[in-house]
Amino acid sequence: MAAIETFYDVIRRQGVTRRSFTKFCSLTAASLGMGPIGAAKIANALETKERTPVIWMHGLECTCCSESFIRSAHPLVKDVVLSMISLDYDDTIMAAAGHQAEAILQETKEKYKGKYILAVEGNPPLNEGGMFCIDGGKPFVEKLKWMAEDAMAIIAWGACASWGCVQAAKPNPTQATPIDKVIHDKPIIKVPGCPPIAEVMTGVVTYITTFGRLPELDRQGRPNMFYSQRIHDKCYRRPHFDAGQFVEQWDDESARKGHCLYKMGCKGPTTYNACSTVRWNGGVSFPIQSGHGCIGCSEEGFWDKGPFYERLTNIHQFGVEKNADEIGLAAAGLVGAAVVTHAAATAVKRIVSKNNDHSA
Amino acid sequence: MTRLLVGPFNRVEGDLEVSLDIEDDAVASARVTTPLYRGFEQILVGRPMADALAIAPRICGICSVSQSMAAAAALRALYGVARAPNGVVAANLAHAAENMADHLTHFYIFFMPDFARAQYAGRSWHEAARRRFKAIEGAAANEVLQARRRLLEIMGILAGKWPHSLAFQPGGTTCAVDLGQKAQLVAIARDFRRFLEAIVFTAPLAVPLGLRTPEELERYCEGKGADGDFAAFCRIARALDLENLGRAANPLMSYGAYRGEAGAFLNAGVFDPIASALSPLDARAIREDVSHAYMRDGPEEPSLARTEPYVDKPDAYSFAKAPRLHGRPAEVGAVARLAVHGHPLVRALLERSRGSNVFVRVVARLIELAMVAEAAEGWAKALALNEPFCVVAPHDEDGDGVGLVEAARGSLGHWLGAQKGKIRSYQIIAPTTWNFSPRDASGVAGPVEQALVGAPLEGHGAGAASVQHVIRSFDPCMVCTAH
Repeated sequence: MAAIETFYDVIRRQGVTRRSFTKFCSLTAASLGMGPIGAAKIANALETKERTPVIWMHGLECTCCSESFIRSAHPLVKDVVLSMISLDYDDTIMAAAGHQAEAILQETKEKYKGKYILAVEGNPPLNEGGMFCIDGGKPFVEKLKWMAEDAMAIIAWGACASWGCVQAAKPNPTQATPIDKVIHDKPIIKVPGCPPIAEVMTGVVTYITTFGRLPELDRQGRPNMFYSQRIHDKCYRRPHFDAGQFVEQWDDESARKGHCLYKMGCKGPTTYNACSTVRWNGGVSFPIQSGHGCIGCSEEGFWDKGPFYERLTNIHQFGVEKNADEIGLAAAGLVGAAVVTHAAATAVKRIVSKNNDHSA
Repeated sequence: MTRLLVGPFNRVEGDLEVSLDIEDDAVASARVTTPLYRGFEQILVGRPMADALAIAPRICGICSVSQSMAAAAALRALYGVARAPNGVVAANLAHAAENMADHLTHFYIFFMPDFARAQYAGRSWHEAARRRFKAIEGAAANEVLQARRRLLEIMGILAGKWPHSLAFQPGGTTCAVDLGQKAQLVAIARDFRRFLEAIVFTAPLAVPLGLRTPEELERYCEGKGADGDFAAFCRIARALDLENLGRAANPLMSYGAYRGEAGAFLNAGVFDPIASALSPLDARAIREDVSHAYMRDGPEEPSLARTEPYVDKPDAYSFAKAPRLHGRPAEVGAVARLAVHGHPLVRALLERSRGSNVFVRVVARLIELAMVAEAAEGWAKALALNEPFCVVAPHDEDGDGVGLVEAARGSLGHWLGAQKGKIRSYQIIAPTTWNFSPRDASGVAGPVEQALVGAPLEGHGAGAASVQHVIRSFDPCMVCTAH
């Protein structure tokens, strides 16, 4: 029997040390919330299982997902994952060009039938027979369907592939369409965000290539490990929301004190993503930390839920104690019903804790 | 005569196709096709005008800050406000970080790997180029991606995240930097300068920045700079005579870059490489021709133009429109910026070739990298912590505003018209639209189409490296081109 090529063989051949490999496994296990045994599990899988090829294709998109991905926080994660994807096919960084590149797709499709992962950044536009995204002389939608036929699973990178994103905003001139509306017979994992966070992307791709199955998904097809909490739930400005301390204008005194950006249009209360925990650019920051509200870029159809900067004019200065509820109610029309529930829950909590205070 | 189709291209932002007519094993004429379109200008119309700040950057995940800057500048012009001085400095610093990351990525990840092609096996420099620059496997990629990641932490600090940062507003930036952050920014800028000095130039930045003539450049490449990647490129360029490849002699245009209270760090203007003459920029002389674009006819003036696709249009071959300045194509990018600014080495190289070429485009990019890296460190130090970063912009509901900025790849303009607080019209002309312009109604080809003429194929047909060098010397960003 011919020796199988494992992922570990590949990275060792590329000069990654054993020590670095171990570190990669523990970092990834941590980011996936797998606990101390997780690292050993990942290491074992990578050392013994046949390497899973990843094909990375681009439809209608802006390449922000790739840009986010290739500057992963930990350089090693970047090396390892880049090696993993680029060994096969990637539009943005591969060496092969033209027909040579097309041949790689054909070869992967045959040699790894049912075993490769198809990572898709962007989406197919269906209007005018797919004319708005022509790749190698053919509509992208054809290439997508062709490569999806023999894939094990599909990763929908970013808001474009997951929901349609900006090009699908009204009036959606090209009829840009999320990939799950075009591919129906394969498991699809959605990793929304515009772009998704680098660590979320590396975490997801590592999980799938390591274990050969998808992580646990929510009802919308997103991995629970990264999308089960709202930005608001873990936002460091949250105490100021609860205390009714709000920014009124960019860079005002409240902004400098780190008060809540809700009145500047922040969509953190209705957005599910890991920005406030994982953060961006190597954990340095995230939009709210730079004084700008969340625009909700990982949510379905968020472009048509604007305006992004509409200020809530019906909220006036009021006492510290009860304003969170008032704001939640006043904002309901703008941000959605979830906020009402959330504000109510906050109010209940406060009442309970107040009562506790009284009884203590 | 035979016709070849080159594409799909790899290591390019977005999709690109090039059709070449071949005679005597060289390119006789070329047509450049942008085969993708999303419809930003249609999507923006009717939305609240400030939403342009969130939507327009999504045109491109590589130069999103440039798009943000142009949208904010257009709104600022419409409102008639000025930015808080700190906001200007912070925005320049963030913009510099993105542009430097772009130049670095272009050089190492997109451009240099072509010298590792098998076509060059046997050349004296090939083995070294392969070891250093081969896509994915070359030693340089690791060092560069690492330096780039660190550089982009500037974006994290100033703008929350990158790509698609949100902090840039008409009145400044939303993030007031504190003392700790300022120290971090200075340290990141300094680390990046050191990286350039150690790896790219193997000399203090003052050395490459002091080069004034092609002869000085040669001496530097044999001397102080010899071990750096810049010199490695210059040696390969000489061996392959890249100074005589990809020549085009269009006016070189710059809107001016990194504006501050004392004017722009790099001046605006138009430089004619044939006459070696500089003239002021008149942005009102810009028009867009759609005779060969899959777009319906309409007014050619950007502020009045509409963008409506028409995919069955006869004679059309690209989604890109053909922008023209005083009726002529213009080349944009680092070479144009430095020529307009009056950089002696770039001017001398342009004069020697009587036009731009593959060599000078890359040289200008790296010299600009050094210039901006030096300036960025100063900008980080100049942030005045207790002063405002953003002023409140009074929201005029009606009017027109134009935002003209320089992205890494060249001149980027947003023309915005508003009515009752909503976007009435939005027109974008991106750098790659200028460079990768299709023909106009008079049949005049765009800069890349011109530059490809004469490229020798040496029997390699559509796979010829020369074609790749010419196209990549313009650093194509196709998603910006037709957006």
